[in-house]
Amino acid sequence: MGMSDKLWAIQFANLIAVLPAIVVMVTGFIVLLGDSCVPTWHKNGKALNPAVTFVGIAVALFFNMTRIGKETATAFSGAVVDDPFSRIAILLLGVAAILAVLLSTTYLENKKLHHGEYYVLILFSLFGAMLMASSNELITLFVSIETLSVSLYVLAGFARTEERSEEAALKYFLLGAFAAGFLLYGIALVYGGSFGLSPTGKATTNLTEIGAGLASAGLGGVTVMFVIGVALMFVGFAFKAALVPFHMWTPDVYQGSPTSVTAYMAALTKIAIFTVILRILSVLTPISSVWLITAQILAVLTMFGGNILAVTQDNVKRMLAYSSVAHAGYIMAAVVAVGVANGKFHDLAINATMFYLFAYTLMTIGAFGVLIWLSRRGRDCQTLGDLKGLVKRDPVGAYTMLVFMLSLGGIPPTMGFMGKLMIFNVLLSAGLMPLALCLGFASIISVYYYLRVVWMMCFMEPDKETITDHAVESSGALFAIGVTVVLSLFFGLAPTIAQNLLAPATNILVR
Amino acid sequence: MITTSHYLVLSAILFTIGVIGVLVKRNPIVIFMCVELMLNAANLSFIALGRHFGQVNGQMYVIFALAVAAAEVSVGLGIIVAIFRSKETINVDEVNLMKS
Repeated sequence: MGMSDKLWAIQFANLIAVLPAIVVMVTGFIVLLGDSCVPTWHKNGKALNPAVTFVGIAVALFFNMTRIGKETATAFSGAVVDDPFSRIAILLLGVAAILAVLLSTTYLENKKLHHGEYYVLILFSLFGAMLMASSNELITLFVSIETLSVSLYVLAGFARTEERSEEAALKYFLLGAFAAGFLLYGIALVYGGSFGLSPTGKATTNLTEIGAGLASAGLGGVTVMFVIGVALMFVGFAFKAALVPFHMWTPDVYQGSPTSVTAYMAALTKIAIFTVILRILSVLTPISSVWLITAQILAVLTMFGGNILAVTQDNVKRMLAYSSVAHAGYIMAAVVAVGVANGKFHDLAINATMFYLFAYTLMTIGAFGVLIWLSRRGRDCQTLGDLKGLVKRDPVGAYTMLVFMLSLGGIPPTMGFMGKLMIFNVLLSAGLMPLALCLGFASIISVYYYLRVVWMMCFMEPDKETITDHAVESSGALFAIGVTVVLSLFFGLAPTIAQNLLAPATNILVR
Repeated sequence: MITTSHYLVLSAILFTIGVIGVLVKRNPIVIFMCVELMLNAANLSFIALGRHFGQVNGQMYVIFALAVAAAEVSVGLGIIVAIFRSKETINVDEVNLMKS
């Protein structure tokens, strides 16, 4: 009796630690079952799925916020951690998902893609992403990354009648599976290399134990197998985060996927994978001399590669894909600072990374959101030509796009500017002057192609009258764009509010 | 005498074959077989290492990896079938509508 009570208490504590993720998963099952029960001909049936999804994510975020100040807990024998860092990451993930659901209502209506599975996959991928943010063990991490990825492969090919969408799904799937191979093999080698490193003297994939082992053994206690394993794992991460030279899938997948999916995965995967990279690099801080230079080279290649390739793009979705590669480079630069001087700038680096991820989420979802809003009359708005003379045709779309382009380009008074400033500050105080200069130069390149969009919208005459007769219900997209515009400007003018909101993230369980 | 290092070398060779296969092959199904080879190379390492250390967790991880690989296969083949229906080909060089 007493024994079983105790077991129940342990199980309960385990589940509480991953409660937001569980709420999201259960909502996914509810939508999956509900969708097959509610008749499709019912006039409110279409609104039911997004409504349930919205409520589910909101409840998960509510549970997440109620525990934001509480102390760190581990669960499932240390496989999952519930620390303030993961809570902040989950908050960002939830915000991205809610905005994406709002955009999806308009986009699916426009494309006649109403299927309940869409929202189920959104919820399952969000579940995977939330678990990634809280996983403290490499196999848990692998399973959650794959939960996220497999759901996104299906979402990328969700517009089944469009060949581009199918092509995007195939490319995403093949490259994603390739990356998973590297990741798993890397984990196997880390497992082998961790023998004798962890305090228990056993081989482990637990990050806390590896971190403790590295802290006491230092560089001398690390085997070649361990280092190769970490390197292969980071090849996998670099694929998922679209760091140059592992970015080749990004433009095709972003362009071919349904725009609402592009917006969602651009934000969600970046947040999730960078929280993982941040956590693992924090664990690897004692051996930072091994990876510091490589990570910096990766960051520089990514920011220049993304920006230079974006310059020649005529398709806005494709341009935004390369721009997201460039932004991954900026974020990587901030993440690198975690390892400098044995973790002295750890807090600063985490603050800057989280702030930038938040800014990136708002401006990327916003920019794709405007494309969705402009496509509401049935004509897909994708190319620069579609944006010509927009300021006369659709002032709402034009002015909101202007804000997002300024924010992406890092021009004040937007959040993108404040984010870049914070990264710049971190790099300067951590003594990474070359990296800071590269960030500056790369940003200057990026201003060209962002302002080209503004030029098209404001100073060009439209090609032809493009207004068609049918316009769909678009309040969801309008609301999402409104929220992102207001927040981008508000946090650009009052960044301390966002900084204070995200500040608990510096409390990260490493060892 | 076959030792653990033999298994690790074998798995490294299998992994390399898998990587090369993904890079040179043009049929998505063959590419995916090569990915499976990479995953199974990792599984072999896990089993060999777990056995070598006398720990059960290395062998347990393989079950997780197998489950993930199975999920990936079902989604991947679904995507490939959908492409074949619309294009009558699955060669990755011909599935290339979007170019920069």
